[in-house]
Amino acid sequence: MPNNPPTGLVFEIREFSLYDGPGIRTTVFFKGCPLRCRWCHNPEGLLAQRELLINTQTCTHCGKCLRTCHFKSCIVCGLCVEHCVNQCRRVCGVKYRVETLCTELLKHQDVFQMSGGGITFSGGEPLMQTDFVVALANRLHEQNIHLALETSGYASLEDYMRAVESVDLVFQDLKHTNPKEHLRCTGRDNAPILENLAWLKTSKKPFVARIPLIPYTNMDRVTLDDFASLLKDAPNLLRVELMPYHATAGAKYHLTGRTFRPGFDDSNLNRQQLFSDACLAPFIAQGLTCRFV
Amino acid sequence: MNPLIESIRDYIRGGQHKASRATKDWSTLVSAQDATRTARAARLFAAVLQEEAAHPTFLPGERIVLTRHCINLPDRYSEEEMSRLRKNAYFHEKGFVFNISPDYASTVQVGLDTRKEEIQARRKKAVEENDTEGIEFLDAARSGIDAVCLLADAYREEAIRLHLDDIAETLTRVPHQGATTFRQALQFIRILHFALWCEGPYHNGLGRFDQYAWPWLKADLEAGRETEESALALLEEFFLTFNRDSDLYVGVQQGDNGQSLMLGGVDRSGNESVNLLTHLCLKASRELRLIDPKINLRVSRQTPMELFAEATELTKIGLGFPQYANDDVVIPGLIDWGYSPEDARDYAVAACWEFIVPGKGMDIPNIAAVSFPAVVDSVLRSTESNSVQSFDAFLQLVRKELFARADQIESDLACVDMLECPFISTLCDGRIEAARDVSHGNVYNNFGVHGTGLAPAVDSLETIKRLVFDERIEALGNLRKYTDQNFRNEEDLLIAIRALPKLGNDEDEPDAIAVRLLNDFADSFAGRVNCRGGIFRPGTGSAMYYITHAKEIPATLDGRLRDEPFPANYSPGLHTRIKGPLSVVKSFTKPNLKRVVNGGPLTIELHDSVFRNDEGVEKVAQLVRFFVMRRGHQLQVNTINRDQLLAAKQDPEHWRHLIVRVWGWSGYFVELDRPYQDQIIQRVEMTF
Repeated sequence: MPNNPPTGLVFEIREFSLYDGPGIRTTVFFKGCPLRCRWCHNPEGLLAQRELLINTQTCTHCGKCLRTCHFKSCIVCGLCVEHCVNQCRRVCGVKYRVETLCTELLKHQDVFQMSGGGITFSGGEPLMQTDFVVALANRLHEQNIHLALETSGYASLEDYMRAVESVDLVFQDLKHTNPKEHLRCTGRDNAPILENLAWLKTSKKPFVARIPLIPYTNMDRVTLDDFASLLKDAPNLLRVELMPYHATAGAKYHLTGRTFRPGFDDSNLNRQQLFSDACLAPFIAQGLTCRFV
Repeated sequence: MNPLIESIRDYIRGGQHKASRATKDWSTLVSAQDATRTARAARLFAAVLQEEAAHPTFLPGERIVLTRHCINLPDRYSEEEMSRLRKNAYFHEKGFVFNISPDYASTVQVGLDTRKEEIQARRKKAVEENDTEGIEFLDAARSGIDAVCLLADAYREEAIRLHLDDIAETLTRVPHQGATTFRQALQFIRILHFALWCEGPYHNGLGRFDQYAWPWLKADLEAGRETEESALALLEEFFLTFNRDSDLYVGVQQGDNGQSLMLGGVDRSGNESVNLLTHLCLKASRELRLIDPKINLRVSRQTPMELFAEATELTKIGLGFPQYANDDVVIPGLIDWGYSPEDARDYAVAACWEFIVPGKGMDIPNIAAVSFPAVVDSVLRSTESNSVQSFDAFLQLVRKELFARADQIESDLACVDMLECPFISTLCDGRIEAARDVSHGNVYNNFGVHGTGLAPAVDSLETIKRLVFDERIEALGNLRKYTDQNFRNEEDLLIAIRALPKLGNDEDEPDAIAVRLLNDFADSFAGRVNCRGGIFRPGTGSAMYYITHAKEIPATLDGRLRDEPFPANYSPGLHTRIKGPLSVVKSFTKPNLKRVVNGGPLTIELHDSVFRNDEGVEKVAQLVRFFVMRRGHQLQVNTINRDQLLAAKQDPEHWRHLIVRVWGWSGYFVELDRPYQDQIIQRVEMTF
């Protein structure tokens, strides 16, 4: 552990987040992610540094931001934000020290207590900032806050173990079982993820497996069967949650200047199919609890 | 919902029942003269019901009858006559008794024949006492009851002719005699409620329905006359009766008709009184998906989590129901205002959210309104830049201005009159015994004063605090100028202002201003007695003033531009970037809400995706409970989808049944005027 208290980069703190664990929770979204999932719906969480978001849809091209800018390329100083009449610019990413973030998050301690809720670390990928996450978790645990971690699992086993041990509940995301396919649709090999998962299954830490259901990607029977057999025999697995691809997944891409390319035509998707019982069946067949989120 | 109910619902939604309606020429009736105002009330009421009796209408398959035939009703007075009356006194809105919650149950128990006997007995006494006014009222009340009986008899005879035997049988018992079964009770209430609208009173609340109708249902269930399932069907049919004539009712917008029903809460002795009928009402509303009756639910610290969850299932379907009222705050609030503890525990809502005691309240709960932003604006305008040394001194001036407004309201309302409504009087406690029309007063004769635009006012004050007194970068005079010029060429300032702390994000500074402002508002009316012997009750409601008050002032220092509306009721400003519902609840439960229980809910809009699964229901229910635990007074949770609203604006025909909460009521989105539609879209989500 470094001597200086680490700082963390956060792109959103969302209160009353509904699907990130028990009770009323606040979710902290850490900025920066090693994966590049084609369907990612939080593109502003990808880059591990502060960035300027521009809502091109509400921009009227008045030019005021250009006149106020003194730099050849953006240094994310935020000056243009203060001059945008249409409020279509925003600096995304706030650096926090553990203490400051703690204070902010503990504001709703009363609600957590009343509702059996707590705080969830999500992202981006929190494990890109493991030192910070662990320090924050330890600090929050002093206040008896229930903590959850949502992670892709793409991290060194050492970081993964440290992080998992510092929380009460883990949401382990799984994108694909096939290494080649995983590489193709996320840009990374899934070997470290599978290794971490193998350890998680023996760790006694309660966890929920979360699988995004992406059309033409990981919804075929073979892949779903693979997921199911990967997850069976884990006594600490609470349930499997399937998260069907959402039609508005690409909504925020224009803010980051990126283009949304999910790898398939999403204009004519059959929503019913995404929620079909056939997706649940392979998991139920393995005796697992499975539901849509 | 069983197929019969579904078919009646579709019949009504399709407007097929309107085919038998007619427009009536009432001119000779209206131009005829009467000896007294009361006599006139009685004559017109009888004439309308006679016309209705001549055209009984039965909807296919229905068991609870009465459908309006007359599209229009006679005006009580011509415009000239009315303006003559208005010269001598203030008549609120249309001048009728309205926005109250009558006591249906007492009459449903004994029947109209008994009421008539009471009237006759009381008349003897009035004759002995030579009480002309009393005699006149009692005669009018009796004539009203006769007219109602005549109408019901006409329906009965027609039912016999059409071989609708069970309807005929029900009408043989009620309304002449007291109801003995749940079905009879519902039919009786329908008759009374139908008649009220024909007399003139509007926004006729339905009171604590699950309390007063429960004994009949309970007896039926015990005797095996009804099952839970058959009772639900009857109840649904009863609820449908509130949706068939409502397009003919008076209101600011379509849907604003005050058919509010209160569920749950403690009884008059303080015991929890939720019963099976409470649950059935929630279920009926959920199944029917219609805008009437408007469902309100009383809750408290004692309310079990299951009831919150059950109510949230209703929230989930997006009708804007239920609206919650917190017994822990409302009851002590009313007691502090002089209500007896038994009456305070018996509160319902009048039409939207104004708390009223059924049968006993002849309050005018929406008689006046104070616009908080206008108060701040006028202090800003009347203050010399250098004359105010501190923010506290500025707030003192705001307080003074609030008192000045209260003085003005009190003197404007020095003489308030109301048109007599003898029939509704028979449904109000003790009016027959007193031999006086309820328009002349009842147990509680309080005036309710709305406080509108709290958030824009608080946020404007925060701007003044920061820019003028903390940072000293602007003078008051300059700020005044910016608002007059609608922030023209001051865009940077506008952005900076909008970025300041705002009410609704659980930030101490603006929240403290809100606490103080609401206390000052409560103080400004404390101890005043109104011209009818009641008090003034401040509240946090807005009614339509969030549109109209906003038009009366220029831009405001919270960053609201000219012509932009205020938030409705008790809610954050429309430009505020809200952190989330927890912060909103925390900010808005900091003030001492016990002092402003004229009513007016905190409104929280949730995107419909929060209800993706049961977890969402449970958590929204916990949010509501959190509000209750923090001693909030009234809460409205809406489920809404902005994209749907935009689509509905484009293609109204396709979205005919889309329901939204407007201020204290729910309506069909496509039937609202544009400014109301736009305000809802704006308030839904502050998207980046």
